[in-house]
Parts: sequence; C-alpha cells; structure tokens
Amino acid sequence: MSITPDKLRYCQSHEWAYVADPSTEIATIGISAFAVEELTDLVFMALPKVGQTVSAGSEFGEVESVKAVSPMYSPVSGTVVEVHTALVDKLESLNLDPYNEGWIIKVHMSDPAELSKLLDWDAYQKQCNQ
Amino acid sequence: MQSIEKPWNSGGTQPGLVILDPPRSGSDNMAIDEALIEKARPDWPIVLRVYQWERPTLSIGHFQRIEDRKNSPSLTDLPWVRRKTGGGAIVHDCELTYSIVVPNRGEKAMKGPNQTLYRAIHTRFVQELGAIGLNTQLSESCTCSTNTPQTSEPFLCFSRRSPVDLLIGQDKILGSAQRRTSTGILQHGSFLLRRTQSTPHLAGLLDHTSGAANQFDLAQWQNFFITTLKKGLSQLLQVQWQNGKLIDLPSPGGNEVSNLWFSELDD
Repeated sequence: MSITPDKLRYCQSHEWAYVADPSTEIATIGISAFAVEELTDLVFMALPKVGQTVSAGSEFGEVESVKAVSPMYSPVSGTVVEVHTALVDKLESLNLDPYNEGWIIKVHMSDPAELSKLLDWDAYQKQCNQ
Repeated sequence: MQSIEKPWNSGGTQPGLVILDPPRSGSDNMAIDEALIEKARPDWPIVLRVYQWERPTLSIGHFQRIEDRKNSPSLTDLPWVRRKTGGGAIVHDCELTYSIVVPNRGEKAMKGPNQTLYRAIHTRFVQELGAIGLNTQLSESCTCSTNTPQTSEPFLCFSRRSPVDLLIGQDKILGSAQRRTSTGILQHGSFLLRRTQSTPHLAGLLDHTSGAANQFDLAQWQNFFITTLKKGLSQLLQVQWQNGKLIDLPSPGGNEVSNLWFSELDD
C-alpha cells in the first residue's frame, strides 16, 4: 500500500517518519517533497550504516544539491536497522516518489513517544506555506 | 535538512564583519571557515572573510574522492584540503577566495531555493564588471542533475557549470558552494583571475582582457572583490559593515578551533 503524505509525521527541518505497524517500533524515515523541491537537483547522498544509533534531532546523513551540502536530521531516536543504499544511485526517486521509493532509513525506535512531538500533516503544510 | 528560513527577510539592519585575512595554509583556511559556521550563534554578525593561500593548494568538494585528482597529473603534486562545502575541486592560485557565514537567527525551516545567495552575489559581479567594461553573464546551464552520476561531472569546479556560475565568454570565472547547518549557511567562492600553471586550460578574467583592466594589481582586485561581495549581500540583507580581524587562531595543525574568535578592528 502506498504511503501518502497525510499519514506521516514531520520535523520542522523537513524529514518525515512513518510507522506502519506500531508493534514493531520501526519508523521509516525520509525527506519531504517540499524539501526535495527546494533543494532542486540532488547529486549525492551520504547514509549511515545499519547498527548506527541516532537520536532525535541529530544528523544521520548528508545530501548535496547544486553544490550545497545539507545535513539530514533524524525525527526519532533509536538504532538504524535498514538503509536504502540503492537510493544513492537513483536519487531521482526522491523527486518522483519521496514517500515510498524515496525512503532513506528505517530505525528501531528507543522512544516511540517522540513521534508525538513531530508535526502532523496540517501543521507541516502550514509551516511550508508561511 | 535544517537551514535558514528567509535570512534575507529578517527585517532591520544586521551587523556584518569584513575580514581581509593574510595568506594561510589550506588546513588553516578550512579550519577557520569550519569554526566560523560551527560556532555561529544567532547574535553573531554576518562574516565575510576574503583570503589567500600560502602556496597553490587544491581544495576538493565535500563529497569528492581525492583519488580522482590522479586523472590530472598536474594536480597530484599540489597540497590538498577538503572543503565543508559541495561542488568541484579548485586550484587556489591566481584567484581570490571568499567565505560568507550567515548565522541562523533562530528560524527552523528551510525556505527559498539554495541558489538565492549564489544568484544575488554573482549577479552583482555581472553588474560591477559591466561597469568597468567587462562583459560577463550567468551560465544558466548545468552539468549536473539528479539523473547524472556525480562521478561523471568534471573534477574541477571551473570545468563544471551550474546556472548561477559567472562566465566571461565561455569560461567560468566565479563559482560558489555552500554548507547549510543548524547554525547557519557557509558559502565559499572563488574568483579566477588568471590561468594557473596546474590548470592552463582554464582561463581567468584577466586572460580575457587587455589594457588597463589587464594590469594584475592584486590589491585593486581584492578591493573590487570585497566591494562587490558586500553589494551583492546588500541586495538580500541590510548589513552594516565593519572591518574586523581574526584572533586566537587555530593551532598550526588546523585541527584545534576552539579558541577561534573575531573582533572589530580598533582603527
């Protein structure tokens, strides 16, 4: 089933998190269509390794676009359990489908309650339109 | 992705510090810029640093592979340093380098395309060079895209094209690159004045000129460079500029930046 943006939770810094099954405590993480559009041509992405720990608000990777290097921040704390390594060679997926084919990492959350601190779709849209 | 929200529309006059720095090693130059962005605070001034290099040095973009310089034998003997900013490699010789740090004033979200700061500054160079009779234009073309593997791009910055690069004829003479962090934006740029021994195929501004404009007066071009950068920034921000200097510099190794600070000049 396709993930739609209204089902996600967002950081102010434009990363999203999606939990398909709360019992697994696994969050899929990516960056929003708004961020992809603002960044324009993405040419390189550096990703973490499986097993690496991340904390909410800390940097988990970097992306380069139009000669600008920007960090990506994790929406949640936990351990990286899966990395979309193939994405590095097909960054156009982020333009075409940032919420499905463009997922970046999956994290086993250490504190699922952190999700409640993230923006819902309406609040995130409001931020983007400001 | 956190970066600055409309830093150019924050309202009111912001303090700015212009630092004309003496030549330093590559590692010290990059350590200083790294410290300026990492330690930036919301109450810091905008810092415009114009600097040179003790010896011809190759700086490579944040994601570039240093092994790739071996495809250009003339580059292999140069000392090299990695930048925190993106883009291609630059031979820092017969050129002027700048860094600009715009601190995050507390805004959280990214707004505005990456190219806003590039475009404002580079457009100002077109205007100011035009005023002294030198016809330049922005590239408005790109050698990179999401569908193009980065490794297929030319290794050297001045062989690449992005839409806001400054060209004279078909030659690129000014390129800039950024790093965006939670503390602000660091933008690097290089203004190529002449061909270098290591990159004789890349013509600089003065390789296209003759007469008075062709006189290689470094101080004069440095003054032009600083004035144009300040005017370019002023198109986005109201900045009250003062001259400044760096104090408590990093250690010779370039790795210890904890003591970096700057101040306004007394005179």
